[in-house]
Amino acid sequence: MGKNQPGYFGEFGGRYAPEILTEALEELESTYHKLKKSKKFKKELEFYLSNYVGRPSPLTFAERLTKHWGGARIWLKREDLNHTGAHKINNAIGQALIAKFMGKKRIIAETGAGQHGLATATVGAMFGMETVVYMGAVDVERQNLNAKKIEMLGAKILPVTAGEATLKEATSEAMRDWALNVSTTHYIVGSAIGPHPFPTIVRDLQAVIGKEARSQFKKQNHKLPNAIVACVGGGSNAIGMFTAFLKDKHVAIYGAEAGGLGPKPGEHSATLTYGKTGFLHGTKTLIIQDEAGQIVPAHSVSAGLDYPGVGPEHAFLSQSKRVDYRMVTDEQALDCFLEVTRTEGIIPALETAHAFHVARDVAKDLGKKKDLIICLSGRGDKDVTEVLRLLGEKSK
Amino acid sequence: MSKIKDLFESGKIKSAFIPYFTLGDPNYNDSIEFGKTILDNGADILELGIPFSDPVADGPVIQRAVARSLKNKFSFSEIFRVTKEIHRHKKDVPLVYLTYFNPIFHCGIEDFLNQAKDSGVVGLVIPDLPFDTKESEVLFQELRKRDMDLIHLVTPASTKKRIEALKKTSTGFIYYVTSFGVTGERREFSVDLKERIRFLKETIQLPICAGFGISTPDQAGQISGYADGIIIGSAIQRIIEENGHEFPKAKQALAEYIAKIRVAIP
Ligand SMILES: Cc1ncc(COP(=O)(O)O)c(C=O)c1O
Repeated sequence: MGKNQPGYFGEFGGRYAPEILTEALEELESTYHKLKKSKKFKKELEFYLSNYVGRPSPLTFAERLTKHWGGARIWLKREDLNHTGAHKINNAIGQALIAKFMGKKRIIAETGAGQHGLATATVGAMFGMETVVYMGAVDVERQNLNAKKIEMLGAKILPVTAGEATLKEATSEAMRDWALNVSTTHYIVGSAIGPHPFPTIVRDLQAVIGKEARSQFKKQNHKLPNAIVACVGGGSNAIGMFTAFLKDKHVAIYGAEAGGLGPKPGEHSATLTYGKTGFLHGTKTLIIQDEAGQIVPAHSVSAGLDYPGVGPEHAFLSQSKRVDYRMVTDEQALDCFLEVTRTEGIIPALETAHAFHVARDVAKDLGKKKDLIICLSGRGDKDVTEVLRLLGEKSK
Repeated sequence: MSKIKDLFESGKIKSAFIPYFTLGDPNYNDSIEFGKTILDNGADILELGIPFSDPVADGPVIQRAVARSLKNKFSFSEIFRVTKEIHRHKKDVPLVYLTYFNPIFHCGIEDFLNQAKDSGVVGLVIPDLPFDTKESEVLFQELRKRDMDLIHLVTPASTKKRIEALKKTSTGFIYYVTSFGVTGERREFSVDLKERIRFLKETIQLPICAGFGISTPDQAGQISGYADGIIIGSAIQRIIEENGHEFPKAKQALAEYIAKIRVAIP
């Protein structure tokens, strides 16, 4: 595999996984290559997306928010209306189908906010597959509702206590499980991260978001939007939203990453701002690390953004300046969470609240008569307890 | 010629004993003493772990060792200082580093290799750097310039095609991963271990050393009967974990264990 081979985005991407996984990755790559062209696979995927997930998701004009912010017209791509409440289900269904085609009977996943764990547990129940979800012990606490749902769906949650006990450790543990059970198990990676072909598969499965948004907007307005915004953890909802617009040079693209508590190492997970090139979880990408190449623990108020790496394609889009990635602090996200909830009657996920904050600035800069689409990656039910706790702390 | 090649071709050993432990657990100065103890009690090659925060190919015992080590402030200058001290104790035993690629990349490949070589290290094992990457090729060339070895891992899942392909950039020995999964002590090994090792020996003209899961003298004795070497990590690390807070006890336990394995190997 060389620099210009599949799996690389500029210098980023590739396959840097333990040898024990290589065969499975090659099998996945060749299976996916075949399935991508298979009518049967496409039909089956479309069937589940429309009859189970509820696609296409609406593109909602946010009239009140538009007025309130006083700038560009705000449109929302409603991934929060998907079954299980986030974009994660698009990927989980697709990969579960791939697993089925490969004859694998057991699926595993890592999860931060619990949305990917929930999506995987859901498709595991629907397809009758044994399902195991790795979740940081800290996240099991802060995303307890999702943890409970995952168990109710018949999946097993394995809390990970190593390190910071969040998404990074859950990902490492899922990779270890895969290494042990690679012949029977498919690892449904939950974001656009990991060794090739995962970043490509996840992007392709999430690309439905941007594809729909683009054609829905065009149909209603007979033009393209001026800007689009999405939040970036590992980067799956963002890459799904961006892909359809990358070639539309006049559409400005923004990513929102977690600025956390501040710029000090350990206080944020703003990989595209503070990260340096490195190797983590099987891919070459931007990573928050110290001067000796040790990974620095990430922090974000939203468990789904709490990851010190990022999908390699985002590293590339940042380097090539096609996408403008901006930081949003915990506090700014929390403010936007409440603002959107009260203005528009939609409770967004804390992850998505980061995107709203960037969108507010962009909308003001663009001014009236311009249009901006926000990827509303998920709903905030899972965050209600945590937000109440944080607000309680703030008022003390 | 590389020092590892010398060792295997000297005819002095039938099967090499290759112990592993993580530098800096519980602290860097104790590591020096642990290294010396292991050398005194009979290591043919010594594998030193450079801790990395996210060791995805390691099981719980080594993960915990790495976490303990990283509680000390990590720096390459400490790593090289400790390595030099261990090397000075017994210069004829080849030292190899086991680490993940990110710290090496961060240090800069050439800078890292110059300092590693200067500290007495003659080879590298990097579990997350597959041979078919640009970085691995660069690393191989740089190692070759310095007469150092790139030791690749081969696993029960490695295909014939990959085994053929990795021959070109493999030197020193092959690290044969005896079982699926990550490092850690195991009771049983795959039934065809002997056949796999024989096949590898025929395919790759390099010594084949087996690791991942070996812990008892019995296992060591048996597997060294057909492998060119055995690698033991987790079992050693467990001794440090259980006794590391009491230095003399840890040293004593380590010495006894290493000696026991030593006599079990022909
Ligand atoms: C609602 C929501 N949005 C965004 C994310 C971040 O993930 P990604 O960057 O892969 O979209 C998550 C992850 O859990 C999530 O639940």
